[in-house]
Amino acid sequence: MHRFLTALTSRPWLVFVVVFAVSAAFLAAVAGNTRMETDLDEYMPKDHPAFIYSDEAEEWFDIDDGIIIAIEHTDGIYNHGTLSKVKGLTKELGKHDLIDRSDVTSLYTADNITGSEDGLDVRAFYSKVPETEFELDALRRGVRANDMVRGRLVSEDETVTLIIAELGDDAFSQEFYHEILDLTAAYEGPEKLYVAGRPIVEGTMAYLAPKDMKRMVPIVLLIITVVLALVLRSPKSTFFTLLVVVLSTLWTFGLMAWLGIPIYAVSTMIPVMLIAIGVADGIHIYGHLGLYQRATPGVSARDGASEMIRGMWKPVVMTSVTTAVGFISLLTSDVYPIKYFGVFTAFGVMAAMVLSLVLIPAGVVAFGLPGARKVKPEKKGAGDIAVAFGKGVLKHKRLVVVIAVIVVVVSAMGATKIWINSSFLEKFERDSDIVLTDAFINERFGGTSTLNVILDSADNDAMKRPDVLRLMDEMQTQSEMLDEVGDSFGLADYLRRINMVMHADDPAFDAIPESAELVAQYLLLYEMSGDPDMLWRTVDYVYARSNVTLQLKGDDSKTINRAIGVVEEFKPLFEELGVNVNYAGSGYKSLIFSDLILKGQVQSLILSLGIIVILLSLMFKRISAGLIGVIPITITAIVSFGVMGLLNIPLSTTTALISSIAVGVGIDYAVHFMERFRVAAKRTGDVVATIADAMHHSGRAIMFNAIVVIAGFLVLLFSAFPPNRALGALVSGNMFISLLGTVTIMVVVMVQTKMYFKK
Amino acid sequence: MKKTFALAVLVLVMAAGSVLAEEPSGLDVVAEEPSGLELIENAYNRPDGEDMQSKLTMTLMNSRGDTRVREIRQFMKDFGDVEKSVMFFESPADIRNTSFMNWSYTTVGKDDDQWIFLPALKKVKRISSDSKGDYFMGSDFTYDDLGDRHPSSDTHTVLSRENVNDEPCYVVESVPVEEEYIYGRTISWIVEDKWVVVKKDFYDEDDELLKTLTVDEYGEIDGYWVVMHSTMHHVQRDHTTIMALDDIQLDTGIPENKFTERMMTRGL
Repeated sequence: MHRFLTALTSRPWLVFVVVFAVSAAFLAAVAGNTRMETDLDEYMPKDHPAFIYSDEAEEWFDIDDGIIIAIEHTDGIYNHGTLSKVKGLTKELGKHDLIDRSDVTSLYTADNITGSEDGLDVRAFYSKVPETEFELDALRRGVRANDMVRGRLVSEDETVTLIIAELGDDAFSQEFYHEILDLTAAYEGPEKLYVAGRPIVEGTMAYLAPKDMKRMVPIVLLIITVVLALVLRSPKSTFFTLLVVVLSTLWTFGLMAWLGIPIYAVSTMIPVMLIAIGVADGIHIYGHLGLYQRATPGVSARDGASEMIRGMWKPVVMTSVTTAVGFISLLTSDVYPIKYFGVFTAFGVMAAMVLSLVLIPAGVVAFGLPGARKVKPEKKGAGDIAVAFGKGVLKHKRLVVVIAVIVVVVSAMGATKIWINSSFLEKFERDSDIVLTDAFINERFGGTSTLNVILDSADNDAMKRPDVLRLMDEMQTQSEMLDEVGDSFGLADYLRRINMVMHADDPAFDAIPESAELVAQYLLLYEMSGDPDMLWRTVDYVYARSNVTLQLKGDDSKTINRAIGVVEEFKPLFEELGVNVNYAGSGYKSLIFSDLILKGQVQSLILSLGIIVILLSLMFKRISAGLIGVIPITITAIVSFGVMGLLNIPLSTTTALISSIAVGVGIDYAVHFMERFRVAAKRTGDVVATIADAMHHSGRAIMFNAIVVIAGFLVLLFSAFPPNRALGALVSGNMFISLLGTVTIMVVVMVQTKMYFKK
Repeated sequence: MKKTFALAVLVLVMAAGSVLAEEPSGLDVVAEEPSGLELIENAYNRPDGEDMQSKLTMTLMNSRGDTRVREIRQFMKDFGDVEKSVMFFESPADIRNTSFMNWSYTTVGKDDDQWIFLPALKKVKRISSDSKGDYFMGSDFTYDDLGDRHPSSDTHTVLSRENVNDEPCYVVESVPVEEEYIYGRTISWIVEDKWVVVKKDFYDEDDELLKTLTVDEYGEIDGYWVVMHSTMHHVQRDHTTIMALDDIQLDTGIPENKFTERMMTRGL
């Protein structure tokens, strides 16, 4: 290996040609076959029982996420103009290619079922827009008396009315969103129109996140370039270090394209990982060269390149292999995009390794050594600071251990509080239109988010039984006691309403009918006289299943979990009646999905720690090396989760993956440092001298690495998109803790265990 | 013979029309052809007896293939200005003896009167509904589809003549006079001389196919042409209703008091 790499340095141009030929091939693959996967459903593990069930239930009951359009008239909506707009907009939405006419609900489409002593009356609230005061007043009274509509389609204060248009899966696009915005804009004044709903939130996010990234990434790269140039003090070295990162990213995406695997949202984390991990190789290799140049002035470029390889090939290979294995452990995840993320990042890390070992020495040979530095012994360099720091650590070993223990314990406590938030809404700025509109509608109506509770029995007609229906009704009542649940809607509502209407609107009969026969006959009556399409959203064809929709004030995991908590209390009661309780809907799927990711992330983190312990033990031929080597990773992971837990910052699907960086970067630092420590210990046989050497050599390079990446990613704190800000903070934080963990507690443990100093 | 001649003339005129594309087609030549309105009126007024009773089996089927079967005993009688019908559910068991009565008036614009009796409630209730486009008992048929829509509600145009199941049919397009109707237009295939609509396509307001009606079986009973088996497929919802009539008895002299609230409560 070593010999082969050294032999390559005699043919630098051949190396360039081969590398660029391979890169060109991958570039062609990227150009020809790259596909973004934006369909969120594609992320879900299709064979997971919760997803299978939810998808089925969505089909049984035609459960789709809806766009919500709110029309506000501050003087009240009961006037000819506003009602005309409701009618006009309802009809226009129904004509849209992506919207089924029957999936649009508004005051114009709703049926008003009323009862009298001798009969029942089913009619539209209006079909010709009312004009006279008398007609308008009749409409107002009709809505007030109908609690299937009041509070659902018209706000209690009568200033806002809703139009809900359900969209088929994946129908949402940016063009569609703009069409809807244009459409509603045409209806503005004096009414104000608002557009909300999950499709809007999801769609806007899918559009905003990459757009923001596109703007931020060049700035990140620019800062990294500048800082890297300052640290390496050589344009040539900077160029080749960056070239390694860029080409390894290109190779990774090229391989992905070549294999026909689409780019998922989490795949956008791959370049982030490769930047953070990839620059390390270059910094360490050039760092070694710099020190060699200083120690032996006047070396030739060929000698320099050979020394780079001789001194660094082993740690570079070791760090890369362990990092790659760490990422490959993500294969245990249930989520395909994350499996791909793990495998391709691992490939990228290996590509970066090969490129670092091949391209950088070739660059030195072809373009000469980096500008020989003026030796300024008086001035304290970064290496001296590192040495001083190392000595300080040695002096205050006890303090370091105490602080480390306190930090880990506090973080571990914090980490238990960590929760993952599947909310889409909370990814937006608090004062963004999307959040404000959502809050506006939530304040006046049941809620913009939904949770579908699916009751499922093996017996046909189970949903006609009064005991089942009463329990269903009770469950709805209990759920609505939560602040987070604004409203609920199900079969029980229809039956209570018909029962009351059939008893001349006597409120005493606003209850579940007494017998299953009466339920069956009411349902038949509703089928005959009402709008059965709406009914079929609450009960299936054979009355074995029912769908209760809870309207939630938020789409975050805490809100959904609180609602589920209430429903779970009813689960045993339903089971006694032979009815199973399940959940469905996109909010629920996101929740399960997030839990899967977090669980998978923790699992794969533990697995990768285990594998890394074994690998390091083999590489350094002692188990203590393995155990000590994972200290930086462990500390980084615990602290990073702990800080989020303590600050009550929820994890999201993408940021949860950042903990992978703890593995990638933490292992690099530990291995480089340990390897240098081993070499120095062998040479000097003295603890202080070994620490000084390791700090001067590796400590310095680690610090540079951390500074470069932290500087780059801190730029993301100025991103317009909150999740990208979190990403910047997390990457920077992880780098910093990895650095600190390596040069403090790991050093202390190495010294205390007398590693490499035992006879 | 006369028909054949008319047809020959029609074919000739159409051929001439296509040759002399500029010439307005000589509609006056085919004046003997019945107009669209006449054809629809023929179908609407087709004699079907004074009264009729039968067993109706209504099968509803959703896109997943789940079915709901309802067995109904129905009675109908024509009183000239009003047609009264009453139906009793026989199965499923939990709706047995639920009955439904409908009085449909020939006077244009006069809404039907409807009553329902729920045995579990032991009460007859009147149903008033503003929408003639309502679906009949959860099926894919609206009341209008079942023959309730007066010919004057639409403007009718003869499109062509086609054979359906080897029987010569007129193809007539009907466009509603009023706006705001559930159909943008319908196309009916009416069997010549029998005046039975054997096929009908329904288009929505956007002119997209909404439903298709197929008559699977019709026949002559006591000199009247009666549809016995028909299928309505709601294309957009992928939902199907099959209506099958058995044990059809015509002109048995059903007493007028069969169509009263009191009789509704009696059951079968």
